[in-house]
Amino acid sequence: MGRIFLSLVLFFIVAGTVLVYQATRGTSSLVLMPSELISRAHARDLPRIRVGGRVTEPIEYQTEPFFLLRFRVSDPAGGATTVPVEYRNLKPDMFQAGRDVLIDGDFKGGTIVAAKLQTQCPSKYEPALPGATAGVSELEK
Amino acid sequence: MIEFGHFALCIGWLLALVGVIGGALVGFFGRAGTSSVLLQARVEMLRRATIGVALALACSLIGLGYGFVTNDYSIQYIWQYSNQAMPWIYKITAIWGGMDGSMLLWCGLIALFCAAVARSSVRYPRALLPWLYSFLNSSTLFFTTITLFLTNPFRYLKAPMVMPDGNGLNPLLQNEYMAIHPPTLYLGFTGLAIPYAFCMAALASGHISNDWIRLTRRWTVIGWTFLTAGIVLGGHWAYLELGWGGFWAWDPVENSSFLPWLTATALLHSIMVQERKGMLKVWNIFLCVLTYALTVFGTFLTRSGIVQSVHAFASTDIGWVFLSYLALVLLVALALVVYRRADLKPERAIESLFSREAVFLLNNLVLLSICFAVLWGVMFPVFSEAFTGQKQTVGIPFFNAVNVPLFLALVFLMGVGPTIAWRRSSVTQMMSTFALPFAGAFVVAIALVAAGITEAYPVLAYAISFFVAMSILGEVNRGLKSQSSAIQSAASSSSKYSPKTLLQLFRRHRVKYGAHIIHFGVAMMTVAITASMAHKVEREFTLAPGERFAVGRFSLELTEFHEEDHPNYGAIQAHVNARSLKDDSVLTVLVPELRFYKKNKETTTEVALRMGQREDLYLILAGIDESGKKASMKVFVNPLQVWLWYGAIIMVIGGIVVAVPVARGAARSLPARTLESAQVV
Repeated sequence: MGRIFLSLVLFFIVAGTVLVYQATRGTSSLVLMPSELISRAHARDLPRIRVGGRVTEPIEYQTEPFFLLRFRVSDPAGGATTVPVEYRNLKPDMFQAGRDVLIDGDFKGGTIVAAKLQTQCPSKYEPALPGATAGVSELEK
Repeated sequence: MIEFGHFALCIGWLLALVGVIGGALVGFFGRAGTSSVLLQARVEMLRRATIGVALALACSLIGLGYGFVTNDYSIQYIWQYSNQAMPWIYKITAIWGGMDGSMLLWCGLIALFCAAVARSSVRYPRALLPWLYSFLNSSTLFFTTITLFLTNPFRYLKAPMVMPDGNGLNPLLQNEYMAIHPPTLYLGFTGLAIPYAFCMAALASGHISNDWIRLTRRWTVIGWTFLTAGIVLGGHWAYLELGWGGFWAWDPVENSSFLPWLTATALLHSIMVQERKGMLKVWNIFLCVLTYALTVFGTFLTRSGIVQSVHAFASTDIGWVFLSYLALVLLVALALVVYRRADLKPERAIESLFSREAVFLLNNLVLLSICFAVLWGVMFPVFSEAFTGQKQTVGIPFFNAVNVPLFLALVFLMGVGPTIAWRRSSVTQMMSTFALPFAGAFVVAIALVAAGITEAYPVLAYAISFFVAMSILGEVNRGLKSQSSAIQSAASSSSKYSPKTLLQLFRRHRVKYGAHIIHFGVAMMTVAITASMAHKVEREFTLAPGERFAVGRFSLELTEFHEEDHPNYGAIQAHVNARSLKDDSVLTVLVPELRFYKKNKETTTEVALRMGQREDLYLILAGIDESGKKASMKVFVNPLQVWLWYGAIIMVIGGIVVAVPVARGAARSLPARTLESAQVV
């Protein structure tokens, strides 16, 4: 292999690694479930978190004087622990109780202040018959 | 018909198996002690088997489609993804609405590509053919095995009765883009299995001249063009449907299609270096295999449930099958490269950094750096959990922080690479080629700063895009001049700058000018993406009928809102006049909608959009207040957004220009010496 080839490859490996390392350090968020968040209660404030959870009632949505969505999330598998969430933006499509959501934001004073809220769409890569298996067994009874 | 579809899938699987094993056997033993007639008969049998796979899988897809259209809810998959109220077009698109059907579509498309290769294979080197059929069919065999044994869409419901109605397709997927986006994307993915098959066939057969790379290029361009179109269609769909005013969120599903696009783009550039200079042989094999591996990895990613995404991934147990296949692909490739290492030595080394081959290598390294960064971002939750015990993730800020500077470098190289000389470029040559584009870019940067745009990235992005456009135009100008002098010597009276001469130039050097068209499209997209990211305006407001809200150059006036009822859903529609702030004239009436799907009990927003050359006006209805007298809305003003889609269309046109074979007569209309001088700068 030529000298120029090797030098360029080495340069990109080093520069790319430094760039990725710096960006990761500066932007990474902890991924937590609501129950894990509560178990870290000693740290009432946690900046930069991503919480995956299931929307539970009560849900409040106001559009005046600004959009504000308030709801609670539990672990995706259910459970009694719920955490309040505040999202100052438009309610996302398909948002409703029982839906799984991804929340990016900060944990402040016991509330998740969401900067980004995404409803997981039960789209085409679902496993075959997630709920329908139950439907089938109901029929078979 | 369902049984017919299932039977056809079984036949397709069997024929693919015959193709893989037969190809390998003929490849191993076929040449020793076999008459050429017998060998030819065996190769012809493999060719027919490869075409047979495509026909069988097409029949299988037709069988499943018939089941959807005739509402056959005895089939589990059809029951899950269709219902009676759905329009027939969505019943067809529901074929790939779930994992099982999408896998069958994948099989059908990969078999289609293999059949296309088989049909044109009569011109290919004979030593390559048995192994080519073997590796082509190996991809089909892998996916049909999964479809037949693990995700079979023809399974019956285990109920004693037929369900009267189905669950229905997810409302977000009940969209016309569902008809075109997934098949186009899959055509891209499956098309990129072809370069892999050529590469492996060359290694296995030992026929490692530059033939295989020459043959690969066209198939790579075809796959790349479909993938580009598929990715952009997905972005456009997200922009129109999801109501957040953007088109790309660095979600793992998006990233899984972007990763092979990056390596395929790198491959398209490095192929040229091997063709012209006999360099980067191992590098090209690495890129062929990596591109294919990344398409398989993307499928693994979206079906293994290992990363969180806005898309609900399967938590199925088929992830390990993909991972095993991925390992097998990489190991076989590595073993063959080691075995053939003596034949893979480069014919020469890069002599200067200021040469086209060095710039193409730089372009490859930048593309692979982006690929690595995106892959790192996608897999970071898995890595962090494995090494620290605490799952962490990165989002849009990470991807932007890493990729924006790398993309700017890439766009800059796009302006340099195609115009710099092969082997070595002198300072004088570079001055004459790049002085004007550099000066133009500098003036643009100064003008932007003077106009108040002081952020570094937007200024750099606009200036570099201008540099690329100028560089391309300069190249076209040089081509026209060169052609003009050749035509004059051939006693023609055509003008140098007429559309006719431009068309002649493009027809004579399709690959070269097709690439320039693609690069021009990329420069246009860079400007549009920068403008829509850096200068986007976003506002929320609530109006009663007759009230107005000013945003950008527009005044939005709510005239009324009302409820509507449709068979599949109910809706609230708002009617909003978008008026010009300048003269109060009504430019358009926007009708955003809030839908309530009856079957799924889902609420979705339907965006109202005014696409303009200067900006898009993007309006979403958030809801009606409790008194029922006011409507709340959100508006985005996205500058130059439409140029992103225009740029993408130009890229796809460029891809088609490069992929279309050169007409045999076109290159003969001028003397060979003249053509050569017109082509090489």
